[in-house]
Amino acid sequence: MGAIQSVAVIGAGVMGAAIAAQIANAGIKVRLLDIVPKEGDDRNAIARRAIERLKTTQPAPLMSSRAARLIVPGNTEDDFAALAECDWIVEAVIERLDIKQALYRRLAEVRKPGSVISSNTSTIPLAELMTDMPESLRPDFVITHFFNPPRYMRLLELVTGPATSADAIARITEFCDIVLGKSVIPCRDTPGFIANRIGTYWIQTALILAMEMGIEIEEADAIMGKPMGFPSTGVFGLMDLVGIDLGPHVNASLARLLPKTDAFHRMNREAPFLGTMIAEGYTGKKGKGGFYRSSGRGKDRVRETLSLAAAAQGRLEWRPSIRPDIAEVKDAKKDLKQLVGAKSKYGRYAWGVLGRVLAYAASLIPEIGDDIAAVDAAMRLGYTWKYGPFELIDRLGADWVASHLADLDETTPPLLAKLGKGAFYREDGAALLRFMPDGSYRPIGRAPGVLLLEDAKRGRKPVLTNKSASVWDIGDGVLCFEFHSIMNSIDGDILALLGKTVALVQKSHKALVIYSENLRAGPGKENFSVGANLGLAIFAANLRMWGKIEGTVKEGQKAMQALRDAPFPVVGAPSGRALGGGCEILLHCDAVQAHAETYMGLVEVGVGLVPGWGGCATMLARWQTAKDAPRGPMPAVAKVFEMVSTAKVATSAAEAKELKFLRPGDGITMNRERVLADAKARALAMVAGYAPAEPETLQLPGASGRVALGMAVEEFRKKGVATPHDVTVSSHLARVLTGGDTDMIDPVPVAAVKDLEREAFMALFRTKESQARIKHILDTGKPLRN
Amino acid sequence: MPVYKAPLKDMRFVLHELYDSTAIAELPGNADFTPELIDSVLEEAAKISEEVLFPLNQVGDREGCTYENGVVRTPSGYREAYRTFCEGGWTSISSDPDYGGQGMPLTAAMMVEEMFCSANVAFGLYPGLSHGAYVALKHSGSEEQKKAWLPNIVSGKWTGTMCLTEPHCGTDLGMLRTKAVPKDDGSYSITGNKIFISAGEHDLAENIVHLVLARLPDAPAGVKGISMFLVPKFLPREDGTLGPRNGMQCTAIEHKMGLNGSATCAMSFDGATGWLVGEPHKGLAAMFKMMNTERLSVGIQGLGIAEVAYQNAVAYARERIQGRSLTGTKAPEKQADPILVHPDVRRMLLTSRAYIEGCRALAGWVARELEILEKSDDDDAKQVADDFASLMTPVVKAMFTDLGFEIASLAVQTYGGHGYIRDHGIEQYVRDARIAMLYEGTNGIQALDLVGRKLPQDGGRLLTRFLDPVLEFIEAHQDNDALAEFLPALSQALEHVQEATGVIMEGAMTNRDEVGAASVDYLRLFGLTSLAFVWARMVAVAAPKAGDDGEGAQFYRAKVQTAKFFMERLLPQTGALLTAIRSGAATMMEFEDAAF
Repeated sequence: MGAIQSVAVIGAGVMGAAIAAQIANAGIKVRLLDIVPKEGDDRNAIARRAIERLKTTQPAPLMSSRAARLIVPGNTEDDFAALAECDWIVEAVIERLDIKQALYRRLAEVRKPGSVISSNTSTIPLAELMTDMPESLRPDFVITHFFNPPRYMRLLELVTGPATSADAIARITEFCDIVLGKSVIPCRDTPGFIANRIGTYWIQTALILAMEMGIEIEEADAIMGKPMGFPSTGVFGLMDLVGIDLGPHVNASLARLLPKTDAFHRMNREAPFLGTMIAEGYTGKKGKGGFYRSSGRGKDRVRETLSLAAAAQGRLEWRPSIRPDIAEVKDAKKDLKQLVGAKSKYGRYAWGVLGRVLAYAASLIPEIGDDIAAVDAAMRLGYTWKYGPFELIDRLGADWVASHLADLDETTPPLLAKLGKGAFYREDGAALLRFMPDGSYRPIGRAPGVLLLEDAKRGRKPVLTNKSASVWDIGDGVLCFEFHSIMNSIDGDILALLGKTVALVQKSHKALVIYSENLRAGPGKENFSVGANLGLAIFAANLRMWGKIEGTVKEGQKAMQALRDAPFPVVGAPSGRALGGGCEILLHCDAVQAHAETYMGLVEVGVGLVPGWGGCATMLARWQTAKDAPRGPMPAVAKVFEMVSTAKVATSAAEAKELKFLRPGDGITMNRERVLADAKARALAMVAGYAPAEPETLQLPGASGRVALGMAVEEFRKKGVATPHDVTVSSHLARVLTGGDTDMIDPVPVAAVKDLEREAFMALFRTKESQARIKHILDTGKPLRN
Repeated sequence: MPVYKAPLKDMRFVLHELYDSTAIAELPGNADFTPELIDSVLEEAAKISEEVLFPLNQVGDREGCTYENGVVRTPSGYREAYRTFCEGGWTSISSDPDYGGQGMPLTAAMMVEEMFCSANVAFGLYPGLSHGAYVALKHSGSEEQKKAWLPNIVSGKWTGTMCLTEPHCGTDLGMLRTKAVPKDDGSYSITGNKIFISAGEHDLAENIVHLVLARLPDAPAGVKGISMFLVPKFLPREDGTLGPRNGMQCTAIEHKMGLNGSATCAMSFDGATGWLVGEPHKGLAAMFKMMNTERLSVGIQGLGIAEVAYQNAVAYARERIQGRSLTGTKAPEKQADPILVHPDVRRMLLTSRAYIEGCRALAGWVARELEILEKSDDDDAKQVADDFASLMTPVVKAMFTDLGFEIASLAVQTYGGHGYIRDHGIEQYVRDARIAMLYEGTNGIQALDLVGRKLPQDGGRLLTRFLDPVLEFIEAHQDNDALAEFLPALSQALEHVQEATGVIMEGAMTNRDEVGAASVDYLRLFGLTSLAFVWARMVAVAAPKAGDDGEGAQFYRAKVQTAKFFMERLLPQTGALLTAIRSGAATMMEFEDAAF
């Protein structure tokens, strides 16, 4: 069988539709089937409505409008025969064995031989699913367990049976990894697989102990969140997010399937109020609210929290939310032991939950798998834990954990006893080793085509470095420029190091990749670079060092231009936010190999400025020279004006292409862990015969164009959409984009537009209003509309 | 015998000419304080300073305070002088009229304070500490406490102290041990030892109100667990008369380098009755309200001592004849020329004068902003004032006291060997000035406060309150010929400040030691630049009046010439300071500990 090219998803519920969306995001046509509705003429109505819902859901399951068109709605009667053409059929129907098995029987009839059939079940073991199923299905049947939302959660648990063929495993793994961009973790066919097995125990323990120990919900969330590297929502906030009604199903399934000796049963104690909440519609964010809710409207809006004390006695009462001030939580910033080792109520709760979770995770090896690194990865990628359980044990010290488990009357799991004073992870030169159940340490391998900077860095020193950035040798003559300032913001150090790097590559290397890596950042939280360091900028403004600020703008323009003019290929490899100056760096790269989850935008107007590092000039050139661009100078100017004046941010790499932040030739990598390798390969491919791009000249409309843009802005002001300072910022932007005092017939060199950028940037930076905007975003993280 | 004449002319210049005094007169509550009234207050202050306080300065130094069985006696004449001082209303000039004060603007009160410091800084500490206690109580005390305690403090009938330091903790108050245990009647039982308590015990007033920092039983560790308590020497009865002696006593007084007339006491509190002032655990914040005022006052001590030392150095330089001028005899009728003819003596005198007049003008600016902060009803103006005063407080405290000591030392230098002889009274100023660099937060701590706390605050906002007026002034006087030779120097110094600030803040992002390594140099760099600015402003005012040859014009001519001396001979230090700052922390931090 060849690679998977044609896919269908059966079941257009939340998960099924979102899985179909991710397949479409990868550029693959996908059929989405559901049953024929009992009423109405449209036999595909259920799937069609699901597709419509995908377009409005937030966070968006679809990466582009084009992706939506790749999902073909259908129904399980009329379109079933067409499944014969599919290489992979995903079942995502209701969690009922009889319904699933009936579907499998039908599939066995129509599917083409060798096609992979998978279930997205989270509660039914593969062995049960395959009981009494046609023999022919067994070699090709797997469980592909996606996590919600599938676009953003990188984990995919792959469960295979004893009869599953190696070929099917290889094909589905390759497809899910490379094409869908998921981290495929092979799991044994045990209840809850890996992530839900540990995650459910964690949530249940946190809930039950909070109730029994008299911990309030906000306190529990403050403890069981950030300090431990768990999602900042905490456990109750997380339940609100995923739906409180989900819990009882998962718990019931685990209770049914797990052996009586499993620790889960001890924690699966009754919390009857949950049933009442679900029955009354308090299922969380999707319902009337949950543990947290808002009451009142507008100014009277108050955030309320369920009183856990009252709930424990069977009463549902919400009270105004509190902001817990727990000293141990603050101390935990320096050392987690200050929290989990504290003898206070909060300390006992923290350790009561964490200690049991860690012990539970350790006790599950080798039952759920031999590989602790896989378990850690599953928890990081499926539950957005910053550290997996074994990494957490290493942070606390395995012997510390073992000795403190006695406080909880927990016996030390054999794995932990075997480890003794050691650590689960160990470095050996450039290799990272992990502890195996047999007591040995073995290196963690990466799949071919996966290159992590953290691996390239291990045991080595950077080629160049300063406090904000470093340059690493990633082999084959390619250097990697890495940001490591606050949110990877750009400062003088980064600009200076860029200059040094260009000189170094020119002297002794072949190509440069610009890349940042924070694989522990949760979905949507990674930064390629958020742009210029505004804290430094506002300080310089408060120092009234206008000359220095202008110097930095010039230096930035020079550094960006140097990337373009360098006699070797420079490839940008972004993932996450690439805003302002971060976006401008990418605009000056010879090519970009972007992670699909890349969010590019020139957002300077949000802080009352205009792009000053060539962003305006480059975008003008892109829109003007695009093959599909209309003739004349004005359309490109109008388009770039619209994008920059509204601080438009592309919500995916695919959308960045539509907006021309990326060029048609730029690449998109779906799997986060493959971005660097792909970028490196692209850079190497460009080396032979490389010549830097010629500088562009632009045709800009000058004063007349400025008037036209000004009128548009005036309309917005009249409608109350644009604030007075928006008008000021827009007029400066208009002057830059229309080429200043140029005449329509004169060609304008890009360098001249950069001079205009700098002038406008400085003029705006000197205004109190722009300074106030910068200040506000630094203080609150939110834009100021002045 | 030393001499002292209050520099009223220069004070009036700062109050009325350099700054617009009508703006201050227009603040709520200031209507009565016309320039005429203020001038007459200054003259009265000059009189009591010159005639009552100054003659006791040397006496106090020689006799010192005496301690016997818990009783402290002040030097001869102090009791009478204190009575005269209180009767003249000098304890209450700037206090709130609601509590019996006179509500005089701080701009004038600061000048009065300078005179007291010049005349007798040791004596000045007694009412000075009372005023500190007044400020702390007024900001943090309950209405009831204020009514009960403030009037007697304001009138001088009772005095006040601030009890912070303990034998093992001075700068680091987080280690403070004194305990406060609640009693059933709402009061507290205070137990612990305090040292270095100025005016902790004396014979000037019938009662002493101590403000004591202590820990409640449930207090968190460190500085967040400190509360402030009011602990009187005698517990007043309901009817206001003095009741029984409280459970505390002075166990010793310190034998010091100088400031001998001021009793520096070790206090032992043994179950003394006290009352909580302000909120529990917020004592340090309450104390810091007063600390800022106190720090400015200490800065004024430096200025006061500098002024009197300078006056004596000038007098001595005029009368002492020794050698001949390098450019030929200047006083042929005498055996030798007065030493005033020598360039180096003139350098010392002009250095002193340029710093003194600059500091007085800078103090005048700070006092104005404090006055606006205290009395204005314009929130924006108050914010600017608060920012500016916060920024300048460490500068005034540290630079003024550093200079006070330097100038006292220059005066000794002018005297030659005679300066070292006690009878001349000039070496006392060196000794008296030295403490001001140490107490109320050492000058090293002031510099850390400026660089580590004030500069980074809110993205550097505080600094704009200094930079903007300077930049606006430079801009506005671009075409002013009188300032043509001054503005480039001022601009350059300002650039040095800007650059040094940038260098330090950037260095601090990776290494906090950069803050500590640069702080003292930075404070001086910043201080010199602020002096340069007030000097430029003084030139702008004085130059138009310096033209004619009349005697009145001499004052203004001297101003312009002193400004020139400052710009040319003193301000260039900013360049060297910047160079030193740029070099960073490495040279001091990399030195091996064991090699010291």
